[in-house]
Amino acid sequence: MIQLSYLDYIAVERKSFLHRLSPKLKIIGMILVLFVIVTVRSLPGLFLLYVILLTLFSTARIPAKIFPLTLYPLIFAFLFIFLSGFQIFFILLIFLKVLCGSTGVVLLLASTPYPSIFSALGRVLPSIFVMALFLTYRSIFILLTVLEETQRALYLRGGVQWKHPWRSLINISNAFGHLIIQGIDASEKMYESMVLRGFKGKIHYRGE
Amino acid sequence: MSHIHFPDGVLPLWLWGSGFILAIVIGAILFRLTKKEALTRRLPLLGMMAAVMVLGASVELVPIAYHVNLTVISGIILGPSLIFLATFVVNFILALFGHGGITVIGLNTLTLSIEGILGYHLFHLFWKLLKRLTPATFLATFIALLFSTFAMIGVVSLGTSHYEELIHQEGEGIFEFHFLKEKEEHHSGEAAEEKVNVRRFMAIVLPLGLIGWVLEGVITSLICRYIYRLRPDLLHLEKGSQ
Repeated sequence: MIQLSYLDYIAVERKSFLHRLSPKLKIIGMILVLFVIVTVRSLPGLFLLYVILLTLFSTARIPAKIFPLTLYPLIFAFLFIFLSGFQIFFILLIFLKVLCGSTGVVLLLASTPYPSIFSALGRVLPSIFVMALFLTYRSIFILLTVLEETQRALYLRGGVQWKHPWRSLINISNAFGHLIIQGIDASEKMYESMVLRGFKGKIHYRGE
Repeated sequence: MSHIHFPDGVLPLWLWGSGFILAIVIGAILFRLTKKEALTRRLPLLGMMAAVMVLGASVELVPIAYHVNLTVISGIILGPSLIFLATFVVNFILALFGHGGITVIGLNTLTLSIEGILGYHLFHLFWKLLKRLTPATFLATFIALLFSTFAMIGVVSLGTSHYEELIHQEGEGIFEFHFLKEKEEHHSGEAAEEKVNVRRFMAIVLPLGLIGWVLEGVITSLICRYIYRLRPDLLHLEKGSQ
């Protein structure tokens, strides 16, 4: 999740044809990718989609260090090995679907700033939901700053040592507790400052 | 453990489609029942708790890919109506990172909100009965996670015929053409083995789940204890002894 800020930075800072493309078009593209994932059941078809997505990934000047993010969901796909009874075709099909989905999503996030995605979504989704999404996104960055400080404090108090599991659990829990309280304090301040700036239940994006 | 880390395209359309419809209907009803002013006022808090849940989901604790959900503690702080919207938002953001597919957001919201809503009610019930914070939180978390894990297994078992269809369509692609004949014999001989085995799935998920329920129960109890020491008002408990 720490990579979220880096993804956001790449989405804003990089200039490629994919970055210049309208967010609306990219969201439609993502919906098309999802449609293919849901409907196509042949390995060559999914493999072709994956190759197209990988080509887009390399031509859109997205740093290679972001690539492992697309592999992360494979961890969860392993559960399907047990469900299918180790059928190679089924496992490959699932893995390709996972890889296509995650690569498509990472491509979208690494080439489109979040506010642009939310602004586009705001036209089709209920405003309360989009507002909640935006505030969550903003809160993640606030919490990441708190988390950095908390990690330092945690380290000074012994951190997480698997030799002392109980102490480690207490430390982790206290860190989360601290994060929640700091987060709630920050959310109260955030609401007050939003009201002072004229917030009346709707967030307006630049260019609206 | 209750979170369905399913990729897109695995569950049948009717299943994830009805998950979406059900989640939207429940969300709309809760939205109608909540006062708009109260919702607007508590929206930053909702965003913050959703962010805490997203961060919790990104911290893996043990090498079984387990992460804390923090849904029960969020449910206790937010209340049953707001936790539903919060889980919707959390699943949407997690799906954008490939943590569960986009099409299963509705189903994930339903299973995760079972955890939050049930956790909230059980916490208040056990608090009334036991008047002790740590056991009340642990029991509420453990039972809520148990229920939501079984809800997840229920969802998985509903898609059984679809997985079988996916398994048995092997050979329909272009590359598999040359091996068709050989595979037909192979299929008939091992038909029983190729069947989707939900029991085997449960045998993997439940022991891992048990570790997760205990771990999450302990962590939630310790978090609750920490919050009770510093901001007891956040837990919405009536004045009484711990």
